[in-house]
Amino acid sequence: MSWESAIEELRRREGLARRMGEQVKVDRHHNAGKLDVRQRIDALLDKGSFHETGSISGKAEYDEDGNLVDLRASNFIMGRGKINDRVVVVAGDDFTVRGGAADASIREKPIFAEQMANEYRLPIVRLIDGTGGGGSVKSLEMDGRTYIPANPGWEWVVRNLSTVPVVGLALGSVAGLGAARAVTSHYSLMVKGLSQMFVAGPVVVARVSGPITKEELGGSEIHTRNGAIDDEVTSEAEAFERTARFLSYLPSSVHELPPRGPVTDDVNRREESLISAVPVNKRKVYKMRKIINSVVDEDSFFEIGRQHGKSAITGFARLDGWPVAILANDPYIYGGSWTADASHKVTRFIDLANTFHLPVVHLVDNPGFLIGLESEKAGTIRHGAHALAALYQADVPWCTVIVRKAFGVAGAGNSNHSKLFFRYAWPSADTGSLPIAGGLEAAYKSDLEASDDPDALLADIEERLTRVCSPFRTAEAFRIEEIIDPRDTRPLLCEFANLAAPLRKPGPATAPYRP
Amino acid sequence: MARKEIKSEVAGTVWLVETEVGAKVAEDDTLIVLESMKMEIPVDAPQAGIVVEILVAKDDPIEEGQAVAIIETI
Repeated sequence: MSWESAIEELRRREGLARRMGEQVKVDRHHNAGKLDVRQRIDALLDKGSFHETGSISGKAEYDEDGNLVDLRASNFIMGRGKINDRVVVVAGDDFTVRGGAADASIREKPIFAEQMANEYRLPIVRLIDGTGGGGSVKSLEMDGRTYIPANPGWEWVVRNLSTVPVVGLALGSVAGLGAARAVTSHYSLMVKGLSQMFVAGPVVVARVSGPITKEELGGSEIHTRNGAIDDEVTSEAEAFERTARFLSYLPSSVHELPPRGPVTDDVNRREESLISAVPVNKRKVYKMRKIINSVVDEDSFFEIGRQHGKSAITGFARLDGWPVAILANDPYIYGGSWTADASHKVTRFIDLANTFHLPVVHLVDNPGFLIGLESEKAGTIRHGAHALAALYQADVPWCTVIVRKAFGVAGAGNSNHSKLFFRYAWPSADTGSLPIAGGLEAAYKSDLEASDDPDALLADIEERLTRVCSPFRTAEAFRIEEIIDPRDTRPLLCEFANLAAPLRKPGPATAPYRP
Repeated sequence: MARKEIKSEVAGTVWLVETEVGAKVAEDDTLIVLESMKMEIPVDAPQAGIVVEILVAKDDPIEEGQAVAIIETI
């Protein structure tokens, strides 16, 4: 006698569960151009590395004699596996069973996945393809009562934000609780045309405000521009590639340090184009991303949130192999001014760097907060205050390069002035409380009013002040610590990354991460 | 071939119109230059095409997201 027959029964049940939903539903899912949850897990993880937990959980049917007739899997598949040889938790909704609705998932499974990530200090990737948490109003008749809602496992979902990297992939129509799970993450993606996200879907919305399609209501075009989702991709395969790349810059948890990547680029590489990267004419813009790519390790820049808060550029990169967080301004968008949405993006990004101990490199061309009525209506100063608070709460090594402008309260956000930080200024540095062009008329109002030739006087004053604004004068007073040849930027940033590496401290961050 | 609206990413005032209807443009060619935050901000062609309409004129105030030109993509 042995337990062979029990093992046979186990394998039979596993086989039944692996079928997912009814064949017609699996076919419909595939025909919509989507991978099913098991294909997704296989595509995300290193080959053969998935170890499922709860593989035979679901709804069983028995005959009158108590023999198993059928087993339909729960619609939440989870377990452990590896991405680039590092262990992660993966948790996927199965849309082919009850549309991925959480009420068919067995309540304890998602909680187990989140808790496993937290307690075993493993990154978690959520493959979200669900229609929400509460099921339909039909459940009122089934249960014979209603309830006060609670989001299951939310204590772990929130705790994970301050403990392990969390990636939320919206891979279908994601509503309600599913949408909240996608967004309550460090990095989220939607697949263009394939995923939509909403608080409530078109059928519910139609009753309030008329007919609307899924894509119109919650396509990636909407949610990557409003910042609810970080990035959009064109295929599920690309979503998995970006997930792996995002995780490669981060430690497995806050209790470790970001791993050094391959050393592939010369630390002393001096990019010749940098000497003319910033136009001498201060009104002309230039491409900040080109500068970023010239100074970091080749092909190492991984931009995050390109479509949102566009005057700020955020992303990961490597310097001599060390992962760093890159923060910069894009002069093409309002001259690089911090808008309300850019400030929100900066806040989340500094929190992300601080949570996972990434040194920050800040390439600054910030004329200040965006001015004007629309900016005031958007509450820019409130969002800007968040960004400045995040900066002062952060405790990671910091290196600032003043590429061009640093003006006003937002420009002061170039670094936390109370700490020792490295700060270099290019000769194009143009800094102060208010740009001359913006403050001239106000400051010399009475002189200009009294003048016979205000235009000539204005030009005269501007020329005088421009001379005083030379960064050399600022450096004389040590208000700029160092002016550098832009071509020396990479060697100096690599030196910074090497000096910063031993200063990084594992452990919970100085401020909790909020999504 | 598809008609594509070229939108401004910033609010500002039209400073220069650097193209004309019928012009063949390459990716990244500047179509319109706006003045915004005292800077000259170009609105560039996102891909190659032929300019079929210019929707703004010098000194027009522009809102964020407003279409400034239409190109027929090649």
